[in-house]
Amino acid sequence: MSDVSFSRAAGAYNDALKAANNILARIEATSSEAGATQAAKGSSFLDMVGSALKDSAAMGYKSETMATKALSGKADLTDVVTAVSDAETALNTVVAIRDRVISAYQDIIKMPI
Amino acid sequence: MDLIDTIHISSSGMKAQQDRLKIVSQNIANAESVGTRDGAQPYRRQTISFKNVMDQETKTSLVKTNKVSTDKSQFVKKYEPNNPQSDAEGYVMYPNVNPISEMMDMREARRSYEANLAVIESSKAMLGQTINLLK
Repeated sequence: MSDVSFSRAAGAYNDALKAANNILARIEATSSEAGATQAAKGSSFLDMVGSALKDSAAMGYKSETMATKALSGKADLTDVVTAVSDAETALNTVVAIRDRVISAYQDIIKMPI
Repeated sequence: MDLIDTIHISSSGMKAQQDRLKIVSQNIANAESVGTRDGAQPYRRQTISFKNVMDQETKTSLVKTNKVSTDKSQFVKKYEPNNPQSDAEGYVMYPNVNPISEMMDMREARRSYEANLAVIESSKAMLGQTINLLK
């Protein structure tokens, strides 16, 4: 089994952050292609989910780097707890919103036509 | 978000109390540290003070350690002629640390830490309940 380390988790968060950034860039590109017809640029649902994901990934990344620093004795325990609880809150929010949205989609799918 | 700022403010309070406890532990540990050379002074009690700092990013006031200074009060003079550190008249200078006041300081630091912890707990609970509305 390959070794699983904190730095790996931090790397994964970083990747997620990059992916979220890419998604956001793509959304922006498509919305600017759509041009004037897209009046509500920057307020689409995809945008919202994308930025929420990005925030949560950034907070997760921060909490992992803090934990790594604490392990090597460079960070305060309080900072780790704060960073982890920030990440937890962000993730909980994203998960709650995702669940809500998916249930809305399912309601639409189940709609008799 | 306000509730997340609350957690950051409380964590700065907790850090300040950690610093305070560090000073208390130094004082208690060195309560009987006499001067090592002839005529040298014993350990001098340290004191700590706090200040509030405006966090520009979140526009909140956090607590920071202002300054660690020394207590200028007199040393305790004890008559111990057998002590190798005693002066010509047989007196030894002991640090100006009063264990009782250090204990009180320690309690205060602990209660203050707990108070900050309670704030964090309730802001986390409030956040959690708000998120639970979505579920």
